[in-house]
Amino acid sequence: MPIALRQKFRDEPSFDEVTAQHPRFPRLVARKIDVQRRGVHYSKRALEAVDPTRHQIYTWENVNYPHSLLLRDGGTILVIPQPEERDPYVVDFIDERFMLLDAGQAVEEVEIWPKPKYYDKKTSSGRLMREVVSARPQRLDVFVTSFCHFFHVDDQGCKFCSLPYHHRQLRSENGLPTRLQASDIRECIVEALKEPGRFANIHITGGSIVKGVEVLDMEVDYYISLLQAIGEAFEAPRFPSQLLATAFNERQLTRLREQTGLGSFTADIEVLNEDLFNWICPGKAQWVGYREWQNRLIRAVDIFGKGNVGTGIVGGVETAAPNGFRTESDALRATLDEAEYLAQNGVTTVHTVWAPQIGSQFYHLKAPSLDYFIRLARGLQDIREKYGLSADFDDFRRCGNHPDTDLARLQ
Amino acid sequence: MTANLSQEVIDLLNDPETTKVLATVDTAGEPHAVVKQSLHLGEDGNIHYLERIESSTTNRNLVRSIWFDGSVAISLTGRNGRTVQIKGKPIKIHVSGPLFLDHYNRLRATLGDSDLAGVWVIEPERVIDQALETRRAIEAEKHPHFIHLDRLARH
Repeated sequence: MPIALRQKFRDEPSFDEVTAQHPRFPRLVARKIDVQRRGVHYSKRALEAVDPTRHQIYTWENVNYPHSLLLRDGGTILVIPQPEERDPYVVDFIDERFMLLDAGQAVEEVEIWPKPKYYDKKTSSGRLMREVVSARPQRLDVFVTSFCHFFHVDDQGCKFCSLPYHHRQLRSENGLPTRLQASDIRECIVEALKEPGRFANIHITGGSIVKGVEVLDMEVDYYISLLQAIGEAFEAPRFPSQLLATAFNERQLTRLREQTGLGSFTADIEVLNEDLFNWICPGKAQWVGYREWQNRLIRAVDIFGKGNVGTGIVGGVETAAPNGFRTESDALRATLDEAEYLAQNGVTTVHTVWAPQIGSQFYHLKAPSLDYFIRLARGLQDIREKYGLSADFDDFRRCGNHPDTDLARLQ
Repeated sequence: MTANLSQEVIDLLNDPETTKVLATVDTAGEPHAVVKQSLHLGEDGNIHYLERIESSTTNRNLVRSIWFDGSVAISLTGRNGRTVQIKGKPIKIHVSGPLFLDHYNRLRATLGDSDLAGVWVIEPERVIDQALETRRAIEAEKHPHFIHLDRLARH
């Protein structure tokens, strides 16, 4: 890609210049951040080298891509393809190896996520298992419902979120149901567990459902039924798992803990500033509210235990124009202050790397600098260490999408 | 700077009777040396090590080494007293995929209920013959002043 075109989109210091300012930050984690931040473009050679019998395939914008990448330190890069004019890394296939290229230079070897054996099997209802439960290198992913009340009913979806757009495509192409059946999920989990050593965690998530006697009761009921079905696959009463859901009240959380084998609870607050939360996540703000979201996370610690409750932020979205912080230093200070308040109360905060995606309201914006993300990751991990918190349920192996919890490998 | 391992060293490395020690260091420079019998030659010509405890000190130190270009030392002492040291660098860890799963299944088949955190790949950079006579001859030639006078005295 011509340098002039790159600079037109992103005029900033090079990767080496930025990482030189952070000699105690691992370059491999910085590379992961930068790849997530900028996205990737697959060369024709790379796409031809992908083997659907061994590699995972992912459909994005009606194109089949490999899904996703592994670094040589075992770290995962969950990355979305980006058009060339957005200055992405290139994934090429050189000398029988997949390589990451930055400005034409090979900078790191990567692997494509391996495909699990259960992917080509079908449930008794006839559904392809890979469409019910997807897989990361060591995690099973259950995306239980593509319906989100905030987006589909109130038109108040989170402004960075492209999932409803993406799921609409999947539903029309693959006939995916709006809501998965517990029996289908259980059958997939049982089949996946026949692959020894393949999985270390089950992640369950879906859109928000506000209906019920109490607000969100229906969402809780649905998760309880699914978790009980999944629990039938295990001898142990509790199994390594993460529910990523709406912030439930104490009664609802207690039901989840007592009636299922769920191991950890996460409710993503997305951005750690009340005004920005109200602007970026209007549905969450209306139905729960920023302070109540925090309070519910803190109360969850009493129910699930310290080290088993977390919240996620879309790192960088706090700088989104026009209402976001004007400077990265202000954004970082405000975010870490709030994360520290949560940590004082037993809640760990993890971040993803905001990469504006097609289908989201924020697609036209740019993510902040690599330097910002390095400071954010380091800051969140420092807070975790300061307050003796772990992120075992959401780390490099059991998730792989949080640069800050990658750093916990040295904790 | 990959070092080719001689057949003698390969045999030593792959002999289950050899005592194999892996030495790593932490962030503060504190050494950690532990017997690791799983060290063996991988098909790629590098040394492979099976890490069975994800939260172990060795694993943490290996992560630190791959992130910050740190080295490790491997000491091998064979059944006949033959001893060599290999200096190397961790260059990769397999946490999934065919190699990981092969070792995971083999471990469980042979050891029963056990787990595997990863298969570390250590690129050998230097092999040092640690036999005392060999070491003494090399050092004596480099440092002729390093000797007690009584050993040179006329008797």
